[in-house]
Amino acid sequence: MANTLTIAALASAEKMLNAALRYDPATRIGLARLEGKIIALQITTPGITVFIMPMDDELRLMGNWDGDVDTRITGSLLALAQLSQTEIHNLKDSGVTVLGDLSLLADMQKLVKNLDIDWEEMLSQFTGDIIGHHTAQLLRAKFGWAKDRAKNAQRLTSEFLTEELKTLPGKPELEDFYRQVDDLRLAVDRAAARVEKIIREKSNP
Amino acid sequence: MNDKKTTHFGFKEVPVDEKAERVAEVFHSVAAKYDVMNDLMSGGIHRLWKRFTIEASGVRAGHKVLDIAGGTGDLSYQFAKLVGASGQVILADINASMLGVGRDRLTDRGIAGNINFAQCDAQFLPFPDNTFDCITIAFGLRNVTDKDMALRSMQRVLKPGGRLLVLEFSKPQSEILSKIYDTYSFKVLPFMGKLVTNDAESYRYLAESIRMHPDQQTLKEMMDKAGFVRTEFHNMTGGIVALHKGIKP
Repeated sequence: MANTLTIAALASAEKMLNAALRYDPATRIGLARLEGKIIALQITTPGITVFIMPMDDELRLMGNWDGDVDTRITGSLLALAQLSQTEIHNLKDSGVTVLGDLSLLADMQKLVKNLDIDWEEMLSQFTGDIIGHHTAQLLRAKFGWAKDRAKNAQRLTSEFLTEELKTLPGKPELEDFYRQVDDLRLAVDRAAARVEKIIREKSNP
Repeated sequence: MNDKKTTHFGFKEVPVDEKAERVAEVFHSVAAKYDVMNDLMSGGIHRLWKRFTIEASGVRAGHKVLDIAGGTGDLSYQFAKLVGASGQVILADINASMLGVGRDRLTDRGIAGNINFAQCDAQFLPFPDNTFDCITIAFGLRNVTDKDMALRSMQRVLKPGGRLLVLEFSKPQSEILSKIYDTYSFKVLPFMGKLVTNDAESYRYLAESIRMHPDQQTLKEMMDKAGFVRTEFHNMTGGIVALHKGIKP
């Protein structure tokens, strides 16, 4: 059943996003290369699915899509937000699952990460060049600072949890644990093979 | 004795061969301000209804789409962007004034190359069999004289597996909403029509024709009868509008 409110919310989000994209020509060119692909973003908490379709040089956000999907990404809002901002080489332990065309996801991730809105161009449309330039500089500084803080906060939180509180194991401890699990698995495999060999020898003397 | 076949034109009964002419008069009269009135009458919600129709269309690059009663080109604009350079959209309308407004508007918005325009009657679509991947008719079917014939004609020109989407006013699902809607349609709507287009009569016809249009289940059965399969409908805004979907087997 169509939810008029969801459609309205997505229409507004799409309008804002495309207005912002007008001031980032590099991303627009990148989007044009993905034209016609459909990405389903299935957010588990809260339960919403958004279908993203790059179209020409803009993005279309849809609440329903009655057709084929090229890539389906499923995960919680937090896990998906992290995926968009960090360099992840495999999705293991990321809380995100992907079905379909993985290269499309990589392309989208690259576009989101490199999003660089030309605030100056956007503002000068309304304020004129001089005020636009100064305000844009201010915005750029704030935007960069916020990005830095977000990155640092993540690092500091993880250090605090592992080193100070000792509630989470550190990376070397985890790797050692994984190695032990691997060794154990190999030992079990070898034991199983030996048992099988013995059973075979007993049944065919 | 007068045994001439009649059909409804709003709440009036008119001879079958007069309906198309009368509907044409209504739309000639409202064409220039059709979009303004749509926004005003629906509070802009018609854009969301059309948006849902696009989402339900499954139209992709390279598809051929026929937008019947496409009027001022709202759906065609979106379809032209979706099908890209390798696809084709045909904006069809029986009314030359509406088609003219739609063509100018699309050209002004930079849509060209993958769009064509056709003035034609939905009952006698001038296209070969199995031509289109998707056909839409938004707020148009209720104005067609013989709806069954129009549905059969659409079924003929669709490709097997292609889908028909009918977006149309329907029957509100709640009694209270129905009462509010009636007051709005018969009191407020003609008054707004008078203010904006100086034509209360045309908007009275629009309200009446909505009441005479088959309800959700009846239209679904008509689509089944015309040869569509997997027919279904989605109510929107409490059933004031419904989107019917059917597939050509």
